Parts: sequence; structure tokens; C-alpha cells
Amino acid sequence: MAMRAALRCLSTNFSPRLPQVSSAAQVSATRLLWRSGSLRTLSTSSALSTALKFTDKHEWVQVEGGIGTVGISSYAQGALGDVVYCGLPETGQRLEQMEEFGALESVKAASELYSPLTGEVTEINTELAENPGLVNKSCYADGWLIKMTIEKPEELDGLMDQAAYDKFLKSLE
Amino acid sequence: MLSHIRRTLSLVRGCSGVCRIQTSTNPARSSSSFSDLTTASDSGGLVLRSQSTDVYLNLALEDWIDANLDLQQRSVLLLWGNQPAVVIGRHQNPWTECNLPAMRKAGIPLARRRSGGGTVYHDLGNLNLTFFTSKKAYDRQRNLKVVTDALRRIRPELDVKATERFDILLNGHLKISGSASRLSRKSSYHHCTLLHSADRSTLSASLRPSCPGILSNATPSVPSPVANLVDHAPALQWEELLDALEHQYNTEFGFSAASTLVNPADEAAFPGLSRMEAELRSWDWTFSKTPKFSIQTVLDLTDARSARSSAQLNMEIKSGLIESCQLDVPTDWLPQRLIGELSGVLVGERFCGHRAAAAVTALLRSESGELQDRLTNLCDAVVRAMG
Repeated sequence: MAMRAALRCLSTNFSPRLPQVSSAAQVSATRLLWRSGSLRTLSTSSALSTALKFTDKHEWVQVEGGIGTVGISSYAQGALGDVVYCGLPETGQRLEQMEEFGALESVKAASELYSPLTGEVTEINTELAENPGLVNKSCYADGWLIKMTIEKPEELDGLMDQAAYDKFLKSLE
Repeated sequence: MLSHIRRTLSLVRGCSGVCRIQTSTNPARSSSSFSDLTTASDSGGLVLRSQSTDVYLNLALEDWIDANLDLQQRSVLLLWGNQPAVVIGRHQNPWTECNLPAMRKAGIPLARRRSGGGTVYHDLGNLNLTFFTSKKAYDRQRNLKVVTDALRRIRPELDVKATERFDILLNGHLKISGSASRLSRKSSYHHCTLLHSADRSTLSASLRPSCPGILSNATPSVPSPVANLVDHAPALQWEELLDALEHQYNTEFGFSAASTLVNPADEAAFPGLSRMEAELRSWDWTFSKTPKFSIQTVLDLTDARSARSSAQLNMEIKSGLIESCQLDVPTDWLPQRLIGELSGVLVGERFCGHRAAAAVTALLRSESGELQDRLTNLCDAVVRAMG
């Protein structure tokens, strides 16, 4: 963990056009770096974003290996009530940021889902067909909705991190 | 203080789209663009009546209002009615919810709405009310109170009550209204039906499954015995009901909105609405949006000549298309080769009796004699199983 943090610090000084390196390779490369004492350029894209980012529609996206997993926040699932049906898109469907991509039906209403990013749907959570309640029970883990590619990584910068989202929630009270 | 310029529309029952319009005291406003109305009104609420009796235009009008009006500061009540139609909820399966072949015969269209909930039958004896608000102001019980209070005011003898499920029951057990809603980016709408004088026999005939043996996890309807208001308050006029509802809406929310006619077919007043209507009318939205389901049923193959015979049909239907088809037919009745060809011809077709019948014609022509008879028998049974 410390090694990764060190790597992150180093990387900010380097040019963005870096070769893709696996995490294992990164760690051993870092060890090499410290031993040799020379500065080497290293990719950090995979170390950058495992933290959740949030939209003002109470959706979260978590990026790993260039794929974003999308779900709804705890606040959202609480506000919705018991989810009885998840209306999700097909894999291969291309979504624009903020485009409607489906709806969650609960006793409260059919609530539209808005894409947090621009990209293509690679996977949908098929568990939700039999068990839509996973969205309530495990909104950050087993209750994920879709996975998608990230066509415009800069869109992530516009999303809220956990601290900003928590502040946003307070402002709604 | 706004004078109440009432340009009201009588939705005349039994009459197809021709409406009597009361003359306005201000003719200049009679065909203004919709945006004029929304900026002119300072009442905080807007009360609208749709001139259209087309289910797709009216559903599109709801979407248009939701997408284009600023509902943070203003709320809207829309009253509308349709020519006979069946409307299913966002995530429902039309084959389980309604009798598609009977509807086709009677010329009753199917529409899928964007809100959740169950299946309803509309005709010009059914009134639809849509309450548009910001998400913060979303309050279904309060909206239903508008309806029950209005009814109690004009017919105090009627026992009407809203339930926890957001139905309205007459005399404790007869459903006169059902609700559904949609929450979008910043706004919400809650709509409900109200049975004034609907054709109940067509209603029951339509709200039956198309075919047996469907296994589906689509949202199901909760069937209820229904009643019309006129069955219990025979002198209740349609216009009287609409006036009372509008008045109660204003009372409940402290508005002083005049009732205004709107025509969703007017592209100038509602730019972009026709595109929404086209989407709602499309096969893709209506049928393809059906959650994945399967059919498991037994086909009766007995005909005049052969002994009692049956086959098992298993089909998977995804996005309204036959994804897989398995037929278990006694091997001495038809060769496996033909069964395989039949399945092959059906896979990829729309789940529709007409389409299936068309798809199998070439296959049928390629056979003759008893094989052709049996194959025809089998094809007919498969087509029947698809409703």
C-alpha cells in the first residue's frame, strides 16, 4: 500500500504518455527504482481510481482496469424503498453521460437511471433479475447495476469524491 | 387577480375526437403556444385538459411536460382520456397482462407507459389524472386526497377511500382508481385512473393473459374487482366530475389556476413531442422492452385422423424475439429433422403469431402428404400458443 502511494507521488512528475504496466510489474519496478536511484517513467493509471465517484443523481462509479462499475448510493436505495424490478440496458449499448439508461421500480415509483459517464455497456448484473433486493441490501457491492467502458476519462474529474458527496447529502437535508 | 377564463373541453364519450369547445372570452389566447401559458400564469399551479384522445399522444404529452416545464416552482394537473386502449407498466409483460389477439380483433392498441405499476384499460369512460411536481413535493396520498375530497364534495353519499397501495376503493372493496408514478431528473409525476363509466365487459375481456404457460419475472398486476362511479351515482356527469377535481386541486394546493385546453398534436406548441410519441408507438418500446421470459406449454396435436398426441413447447423470448425454441414431439409422429427445421425457422422471429405463421409457410410448402398435414397441425398449435 505504501509502495503504491510512493508510486503515485512519483508519477505526478512524469509525462502522461506512459506504457501500461501491470500492478505487479509496477511494484517491482518501484523497487528497482529505489535501488538504482534513477528516475523512470511508470504508468499509474491502474493505481489512480479504485475510490468511488458520485453523481448528483446519487449514482456511484468505480473504475478498475478501464472499466467503470455503476450502482446507486445508500441514500438513493433508502429513498427508493424496496426495489422490485431493475430495468437495465443491453450489453453493447452506447451511453452518453446523463443519458437515461434504465429504471429501478420500487413501491415508490419507476425511478430513471442516468449514465454517469460516456461509454459502452460491457456487462449487466444478471443477479438482479432474480434478486432485485440486492440493490437495497448491498448497493456498493453485490447490488451493482452495470459495467461500462470509459470513453472520456475526463468526465470522472467532474464527479464528486466521497467527501464532496457527503457534503452534498448534508446540503439536501 | 386572474379572471377565470375557462376554455374547457368536453371529452364527449362515444364520439371520436370531435369536441365541443366553450367560447373563450379572450379569443386571442385560444391558440397560443404552450410556453406563453406557462409564463403568463402566476398562480403557482397549472390545470390542463388534453384535447387528444390518442393514448400515445397523451403519454407523450406527459413526458413532454416532465422534460420541458420547470416543475420546481410550479405544479401541474393534467386531465386526459383515451379511445379504448390497454396500458401496461414500464416493466410488464403484455402477453401475461392482456389478451393481445382479442385486442387486435377489436382494434384496441397496446401502450407501454414510462411509469411503473400494473395494467389498466382505458376508454372514454375512464378519466386519467396526472399530478406533476418537483421530486421534493412528490406526495401521492395528497394527490389522491384531491380525488376523494372532490368526490365527497359532489356526492357525499359515496364511500370512497384511498388505500396504502394508492388505489381508491368504493365501498371498501371496489377499485375505481389505480396509480403509478415516475421519478426523473428533477421532477416527478403521479398518475391515476378514475372509472366514471368505462365499458367493463371489454375491460375484463382485454385484461386476460394472451397465452398460457408463461414464466416471467416481470412486474405483475394485482387484479381487483372494479366499479364505475355511475353505477353508484348514476347522475354524475363527466363534466361535473372534471370541474370538481380541478376545483379541489386548486383548493388543496392553494392555487387559482384556470383550466386550459392543450393539443399535444400541435408541434408548434409542443416541439419535440411527436418524436416522443413515435418512440412510445414503436414495437421496440412496446414489445421489445418486455423482460426476458419463457413459455412452457403442452400442445395438443390430436386431429381427426391420428390418436391423441401432444408435444411440449419450450421457448425463451428476449427483447420480444424468440431466442430459443425446443419442441419435444413424439419421434414416430414427425421426423426429428423437420422439428429441428421448424425450431430454426422460428428462432430470431418476433414473438408473434402472425410472424410465426409467415415464417413457417416456406417450410410447409416443402413437404407433402401426411408429413405436411402433421407439420401444419404442429405449426398451427405453435402459433396458437403464442397468442
